[in-house]
Amino acid sequence: MPAARSTPVPALPAPPAPVAPAPGVAPGGRRRRRRPANLGVYLLLVPAAIPVLVGLGYPLARQFVISFQEYGLAQQFGRPAEWVGLDNYVTLLTDPYVWGVIARSVAFCLVNAALTMTLGMALAVLMRSVGRAARLTLQVGMLLAWGTPVLATTTVWQWLFDSQYGVINWLLAEPLGVTGMRYHSWLIEPASFYLVATVIVVWMSVPFVVFTVYAGLLQVPGETMEAAQLDGASGRQRFWLITIPMIKPVLFVVALLQVIWDLRVFTQIHVLQRAGAPTRETHLLGTYIYSLAKEFSMAGAMATIMLVLTLALTWFYIRRMLREEEM
Amino acid sequence: MSIVRSSRIALPLVAVLALTACAGDAETTPEGPDDTASTPEAAEIRLWLNGTDTPQELRDYLTETFAAENPGSTLVIEEQDWNGLVPRLQTALASEQQSPDVVEIGNTQAPTFAYAGAFADLTDLYEEVGGEDLLQGFVEAGSVDGAVYALPYYSGARAVFYRADLFEAAGVAEPTTLAEFTDAAIALQEANPEGTANFSGFWFPGQDWYNGTAWVYTHGGDLAVQEGDQWVGALSSPESQEGLAEVQRLFTEATNAPRDADSNEPWVPFNNGEAGMFSAPTWARWSIDLPECNEGVDPEDTSPEAEEARAAQAACNDEHTGVFALPGLTEGEAATVFAGGSNIAIPTNSQHPELARSLLEIMFAEEYQTMLAENGLIPANSQYADALGDDEYATAALDAALGAKLTPAAESWADVEGARLLEDFFQQVANGADPAEAAAETDRLIADTLN
Repeated sequence: MPAARSTPVPALPAPPAPVAPAPGVAPGGRRRRRRPANLGVYLLLVPAAIPVLVGLGYPLARQFVISFQEYGLAQQFGRPAEWVGLDNYVTLLTDPYVWGVIARSVAFCLVNAALTMTLGMALAVLMRSVGRAARLTLQVGMLLAWGTPVLATTTVWQWLFDSQYGVINWLLAEPLGVTGMRYHSWLIEPASFYLVATVIVVWMSVPFVVFTVYAGLLQVPGETMEAAQLDGASGRQRFWLITIPMIKPVLFVVALLQVIWDLRVFTQIHVLQRAGAPTRETHLLGTYIYSLAKEFSMAGAMATIMLVLTLALTWFYIRRMLREEEM
Repeated sequence: MSIVRSSRIALPLVAVLALTACAGDAETTPEGPDDTASTPEAAEIRLWLNGTDTPQELRDYLTETFAAENPGSTLVIEEQDWNGLVPRLQTALASEQQSPDVVEIGNTQAPTFAYAGAFADLTDLYEEVGGEDLLQGFVEAGSVDGAVYALPYYSGARAVFYRADLFEAAGVAEPTTLAEFTDAAIALQEANPEGTANFSGFWFPGQDWYNGTAWVYTHGGDLAVQEGDQWVGALSSPESQEGLAEVQRLFTEATNAPRDADSNEPWVPFNNGEAGMFSAPTWARWSIDLPECNEGVDPEDTSPEAEEARAAQAACNDEHTGVFALPGLTEGEAATVFAGGSNIAIPTNSQHPELARSLLEIMFAEEYQTMLAENGLIPANSQYADALGDDEYATAALDAALGAKLTPAAESWADVEGARLLEDFFQQVANGADPAEAAAETDRLIADTLN
């Protein structure tokens, strides 16, 4: 990892000026004792800050620089890179195909995030109300679905949907009698391709939502619910007017993560494409950037566009989160 | 994703690990290879072979011979998947730490890397390993401005395998022209002698551009041609369109193969009785395993009885299976099929170039070349092609190879394959799109990619 060696150690962030009045004016010694502790807190940040800067900051900076150059395979093997200004961005953003990919990705991301959230919340509520045995079964099943490596899960789903030997087609044709579906190609039409992809992505992301929301639900105090019940609030009212507002911060964070993850989905789409889908018609941002990898500068520009898009999509959440943290 | 989720616990730990890892690295680097030594220092070198095309027997031979000729050094063979090979090479070859010492690369991918400067100059080795006797199409694919960067490894021509018993039952004879081939495939599918569900006369999945290209080439068309210093897609040319019309007819009437599958493992449906014919490189012979012939021998078993059972099984498979080179437009000539095959090269970043050259010398010596031929691969050095034998497989392989044609020798042809433009194109044709319209769009995309 030459990158790690050559990156200069970042300067320590200067501790902000204390909000407290000058020590001379301060009443008592309590505040004075807090100052060295403050410095220690910032020192503790250093081990976390370094890997973030090295692992995320460096590639990000490099991607940004490359996106203004002409940088391909030849440059990778030592030819000097030429500066081309905004050319890469102009090429990409004037291509209607790129806008198609962006639109598809955003739609795919929103649909998947919404589905995942809905299903996840429903299951979390279910888990709160069922008995111990049922809850344990749910939890174990969920953990298994979540813990299986993405590639393994995707491959199994791909086999299930295989047009020649897949179980789904067999089930539809033999026991259910829809003979037209016996050799149906699920992946060849973009719409049904995305349907299969959605099933896989939702399958793998729901457990995380369930566990997090379930943990949130456990924090809702029983007395509050009991009091509301005594006041005559119906179950529906208690859920929408008490539970939801109380676990809102959790929901926000989970939804934010879902949007980010679903926007940059790669593995599931890539594997399904390789399984026989028309590649060009099914690209989402992740796979499209990968397909540009022959020309690193173009891929860098596209990745930067995607970063801006992610920030735009999540700006509302991030601002809200920051505000809540301030309070 | 996991970094975000568990950042609070993980990051400090990662930090410590990262710091120690870097420190360790820094200490070991100066002790790297010693360039001043005249005899290569003993070391472990890595050879990347792709897919299962090189049989295990040949791999064992290489590791053993290399260890014997270079005392103290060892050869490690790492198998890479053909899928996604280009991006893997892009990253691995650019790094001194990760670069393998010898790589096999698809002949269509070789120009991209040769132009980029990823491979060491082998011009001085060229004469020594065979010179003019080497497969010249492959030498060209690996050369830039007269210097040779990638040598041929092997060529695998495609031939058509068929179920002889099904042909007989359906009253179909071995076709002698390309037009007859289509008729035979359609007749076989209609007859479906064993009444198999979803039976294909010819196994022709929608993304199988390796085979589809044969019809384009044979009718005189091409995938792309150079005009001046520009490349233009040639699928719209009248010759290509003629071939594609035939391809579409095969897709609609002569196959039930999924339109969302590629040319991988065509022997699976063949062994299942679901296809009467398939076209593949001739070494596909070793993957044919018809249920009526299977003796259920344990592959690890080396007892005389097991060997006997295996021989009986092979004989039975051969008896049920026939093979011919895809016929051309007129009787007695072979079609111009797509020449698949590989080049072999030493990456510029190899840390043991001397040892890598020693390995190449082993690979180009008579013994190894003969072994390639014996396993049904057309060896890099055509002097040793005799070892292919003279059975029907060898004849079909040679017939097909004589007329075979490579993909256009454009610097960035690998990008066309990377973007899977031809898979998409043939899938559209299979799916009933108008060949002219689909070709016009694909020609545009090919030109965009190549120029």
